Amino acid sequence: MTTINKVAVIGAGVMGAGIAAHVANAGIPVVLLDIVPKEGGNRNAIAEGAVARMLKADPAPFMSKGAAKLITVGNTEDHLDLLAECDWIVEAVIERLDIKQALYARIDAVRKPGSVVSSNTSTIPLENLLAGLSDGFAADFCITHFFNPPRYMRLLEVVGGAKTKAQALAVVSDFADRRLGKSVVRCKDRPGFIANRLGVFWLQAAVIEAIDAGLNVEDADAIIGRPMGIPKTGVFALLDLVGLDLMPHVIGSMTQELPVSDAFHRINRPVPVVEKMIADGFTGRKGKGGFYRINREKNRAKEAIDLTTGEYRDQRRADVAAVKEAGRSLAKLFDHDSAHGAYAWAVMGPTLAYACALVGDAADDIESIDEAMRLGYNWKFGPFELIDQVGAAWFTAKLQASGWPLPQILTLAAGRPFYRVENGIRQVLGANGAYGDLVRPDGVLMLADIKLKSSPVLKNGSAALWDIGDGVACFEFTSKMNALDPETMDLLGKSIRRVKRDFKALVIYNEGSNFSVGANLGLALFAANIAAWTEIEAMVANGQATYRALKYAPFPVVAAPSGMALGGGCEILLHADAIQAHAETYTGLVEVGVGLIPGWGGCTEMLARWQALGRLPKGPMPAIGKVFETISTATIAKSAAEAQELLILRPGDGITMNRYRLLADAKAKALALVDGYQPPQPPVFTLPGATAKVALNMAVAGFQRMGKATPHDGVVSGALAGILSGGETDVTETVDEDGLLDLERQAFMTLVRHPDSLARIEHMLMTGKPLRN
Amino acid sequence: MASYKAPLRDMRFVLYELMGGDALSSLPGYEEFTRDLIDPVLEEAAKICEQVLHPLNRSGDEEGCTLENGVVRTPSGFIDAYRTFSQGGWTAIACDPAYGGQGLPKAVNTLVEEMICSANLSFGMYPGLSHGAYVSLHGFGSDELKNAYLPKMVDGTWSGTMCLTEPHCGTDLGLLRTKALPQDDGSYRLSGTKIFISAGEHDLTENIIHLVLARLPDAPAGVKGISLFLVPKFLPDAAGNPGERNGVSCGSIEHKMGIKASSTCVMNFDDATGWLIGSANKGMAAMFAMMNTERLSVGIQGLGLAEASYQGAVAYARERLQGRSLSGAKHPDKPADPIIVHPDVRRMLLTQRAYVEGCRALGAWAAHSLDIKNHHPDAKTRQDADDFVALITPVIKALMTDLGFEAANMGMQVLGGHGFIREHGMEQYVRDCRISQIYEGTNGIQALDLVGRKMPAHAGRYLRGFFHPVQAFIEANMEDEALGEFVQPLAKAFVRLQQATGQIARTGMAKPDEAGAAATDYLRLFGLTALAYMWARMVQTSLDKVDGDDGAFYRAKIGTARFYMERLLPQTSGLFSAIMAGGASMMDFAEDAF
Repeated sequence: MTTINKVAVIGAGVMGAGIAAHVANAGIPVVLLDIVPKEGGNRNAIAEGAVARMLKADPAPFMSKGAAKLITVGNTEDHLDLLAECDWIVEAVIERLDIKQALYARIDAVRKPGSVVSSNTSTIPLENLLAGLSDGFAADFCITHFFNPPRYMRLLEVVGGAKTKAQALAVVSDFADRRLGKSVVRCKDRPGFIANRLGVFWLQAAVIEAIDAGLNVEDADAIIGRPMGIPKTGVFALLDLVGLDLMPHVIGSMTQELPVSDAFHRINRPVPVVEKMIADGFTGRKGKGGFYRINREKNRAKEAIDLTTGEYRDQRRADVAAVKEAGRSLAKLFDHDSAHGAYAWAVMGPTLAYACALVGDAADDIESIDEAMRLGYNWKFGPFELIDQVGAAWFTAKLQASGWPLPQILTLAAGRPFYRVENGIRQVLGANGAYGDLVRPDGVLMLADIKLKSSPVLKNGSAALWDIGDGVACFEFTSKMNALDPETMDLLGKSIRRVKRDFKALVIYNEGSNFSVGANLGLALFAANIAAWTEIEAMVANGQATYRALKYAPFPVVAAPSGMALGGGCEILLHADAIQAHAETYTGLVEVGVGLIPGWGGCTEMLARWQALGRLPKGPMPAIGKVFETISTATIAKSAAEAQELLILRPGDGITMNRYRLLADAKAKALALVDGYQPPQPPVFTLPGATAKVALNMAVAGFQRMGKATPHDGVVSGALAGILSGGETDVTETVDEDGLLDLERQAFMTLVRHPDSLARIEHMLMTGKPLRN
Repeated sequence: MASYKAPLRDMRFVLYELMGGDALSSLPGYEEFTRDLIDPVLEEAAKICEQVLHPLNRSGDEEGCTLENGVVRTPSGFIDAYRTFSQGGWTAIACDPAYGGQGLPKAVNTLVEEMICSANLSFGMYPGLSHGAYVSLHGFGSDELKNAYLPKMVDGTWSGTMCLTEPHCGTDLGLLRTKALPQDDGSYRLSGTKIFISAGEHDLTENIIHLVLARLPDAPAGVKGISLFLVPKFLPDAAGNPGERNGVSCGSIEHKMGIKASSTCVMNFDDATGWLIGSANKGMAAMFAMMNTERLSVGIQGLGLAEASYQGAVAYARERLQGRSLSGAKHPDKPADPIIVHPDVRRMLLTQRAYVEGCRALGAWAAHSLDIKNHHPDAKTRQDADDFVALITPVIKALMTDLGFEAANMGMQVLGGHGFIREHGMEQYVRDCRISQIYEGTNGIQALDLVGRKMPAHAGRYLRGFFHPVQAFIEANMEDEALGEFVQPLAKAFVRLQQATGQIARTGMAKPDEAGAAATDYLRLFGLTALAYMWARMVQTSLDKVDGDDGAFYRAKIGTARFYMERLLPQTSGLFSAIMAGGASMMDFAEDAF
């Protein structure tokens, strides 16, 4: 078997159902089975119920509602024969060895030869799972450990046993990489694998050290959080999120399986405060509350647990002078002469040392450990990157001074960094003590690598243009949050001229967490506040002109978004010849949320897309209605699949599941367009003018009467209706792109002067939330 | 000696014509404040200022205050004048009727304040400081404290002070050390030393109520650990009359360049009994409530002194015969022409006048905005007015005192040597005005407040209150046949201001020193543009009245406006260049080389 065309997941709990949904997201049919409910009735109720729940869940496990249709639900008594068609069977049932083994025997009886069987266990060693099973089964068996939620967490830990065929691992890993978009990290068959082994150590150390030092949870989270690039949930808020009751399972398996010499036992001791919380049902956000809670009986007061008394008290603002004084220096924080500085070191010193100890035990190499923590725990930096930040020599000395045993890899490193850049190539220290190049898999191209070994072709404060080889250039946003400002437009204009001269094609792409959050609103609001209307109009006109130049450039342009592409960041997608989107792309024209309308051609392009579609009823109104609905409600596609439904992505556009493969895919798409490239023909619109405007306004008035639209929604929608209806025209005339862009610009300028729009922008900037005025 | 005549005609112009006749009486709660009621108030204020306060201005300056055995004596005549002043109800005009005040609109009160400052700034300090204390106590005190103290502070029987500064800290109040220890009965015991306390001790009132910033024992460090306390000189007895002497005393009084009749005291608090005003550790909020109104008032001091100096200079320039006009004798019947024929003398007089009338209009805009903030029925309108006041307060404080000093100095210059000697009183205005640029936050601090706090607040929202109406005015009147001449220079200055604002917002965010380096020039650019707007609007109000009964007044208005636009506003060009040059020349200069 070399490809996986159908998958089965057994066990429709949170993990199993989530894995099935994500397989469906990849466009692969999947069978989801669970047991027949003991209480009788619908024999498929458990799996059916799981799919129904997922269709309503937020964040959504499905990338589009349509994906759910790829799931066939059933039960393990009536439908086990369905496994015979599956190339990969994922077991995600309760963590009980006897149940799993009994299931494996039944699976083995029906599965097709060569199909891969894997377990999603997080606590049972592979060796134990296979005890008593045939060698033939063992050859096709491995552990595939997904993280929750499976759609969003990019880490997949894969464990092969001594008898597992290399081919089986390769097929599953390749499928997980290309089709599911996961970053596969190979682990050894050790409890907790890599991420949880280190993660649980870290959490346990942070809890006991906080209790021993008498710290409050707010300060602890402020220390073991942002300062080290760890999400602001830190330790205690993270435990609330994952559930306090999950910890004892992994801790139990680690306690049982790890040898007495393992450093885990040094920090593994009962924590009565936490045990009592779990016993009383305070298991975190899913329970009655956790280390933090919102007290509904006290006017929704924010409270936190006092770690000493175990009682709730009012939440405090973290106040950690050590963090402020250390600035960006982690070493200064670890060395800070205070209880907080001591805590930072007491937690992170042993944690980072433990990461070192895992080399050769849980993982073959350090980059796997870093990747596991980055993607499994959302650390910005892996543990070895953190050690490099303080310096391996400094870290080694401090560890020795603290009396902590020195892990072998540190001795081997002898003060050298774990990562270095040689001749523009990133290298990593191997377990043998020698540096080796970090090699990307085939089909992975990272701008970060290109930046290490070359200089930008063009650059200013907000953007850069890079040569990514084979005659393709890459335009990168570099501003804060990749917001678009006049400098971005300036460099985009220059880049178009340069690409025309020196390159064959252009890709618009970056490696920020978001492609672009849109125009720099702070700048726009400030300009509006000082009544700099001429400048604002110039910004709008310049954006329109630059995007148009991009659209009609004599070379192909491919936009490759990932994360958020909103407002002006969405409009640039609309002006590309093609889009190659990461599956996790969140995009839409959200301008009305801040009291404006898309003014950089967004209205015009969306109208052109829906008019060209040809699957709507005849006449101009259906397309106008669609675009009006999408823009006037600030609809955001919450995946690339949803972006297809909104026609932001057109039929020829592509979706890449794995974030690391996006640039290579986009580049390939651009190169494919080069031969015989012709810029698009400008669209011509036949629009009804005033009659359409009246109809749209009536619809909005209706929403206002129902209380679904606010007074200012009416103003903004009215301006939008004015554009989409074509202004002063009627069906006997045509309107060209210029005409519509003028209408966009005029409407924008009217709205940006409106105090209620300015109030919306200000509210968005201050709170990050839309104002419903 | 210079005489003083309250500029009632121009005040009425600002109040009834520029702001609009019903600008005040249309606000809920202000219905009674029509012209019929306001005019007599202004006339009575003019009378007491011209006849009671102004005659004591120079003698008060000569005599000064004296300290003997802990008792401060004000100059001769001050006690009687204060009695006349308080019995006339002038301490109560701007206060809450619930405590015996008259609740006069801020827009009217500001004009009365100006007259007091013109007539006798030193005298004005006593009721002025009382009013500051009144504002804090009224805004933040408990009902018990307010009932016990406010009525007597309002009727002037008792006066008040604000005790902020300590020997080692003025601008940076986070450093202050005065301690307040809680007592079982809910009171506090305060110990510490305060300096530069205006009206800290004097013989005008039977009791003095000190509002004192101090720290509680467990207070956090810095400005977040400061509380405000009320500490009376005499503890009220059961009947509410001054009883036992409290542990507060005047250690010494300062010898100063100006406002010599105002006592500036070192105040020692020695286990003095006090009561908390507002919440513990929230003293800065209560203090800033006072400070913001005081900053507007200090701006008015600059205006008042400039007006007084202008009057003295014009009178002298008309009478002083010396030489002949450059273009030939203008008064051949006299032995020489009066110096008012000379361009340079006219330059000085018109500069004074243009600043004075422009500032008066700008001050009225701010004061009226305060009235809107306090009385308008619509929440959004109140918010907009509050935003504008926040923005314009540092501009008014610094601009009006800087221009006030320049104007007072020019007035003295008009008199030549006679301005320098004391006899005419012109040099006193210069000396008295000088402190206004310093206290209640130096003008450098005002400029930092403008660029560092007010400009970035809410992504620049405060700016809207100024920039939007000005831009709208320019758009509406740029092409107007008669008004265009005045709007076009305004538009030029306004574009410079917009560009400078954008520049500071851009560079200042990354490099705070750049904003700091631009701050003072920027505040002046802002202020001069604001005056240009006021002048253009005053011309708009005057244009169709030049041929009426009072045509001369309006023609002078337009003439002054033309002088402002042509001869003063071009300063904005230089300021703009200086701002755009950035701060490197200052900040790169080696510290050792100073």
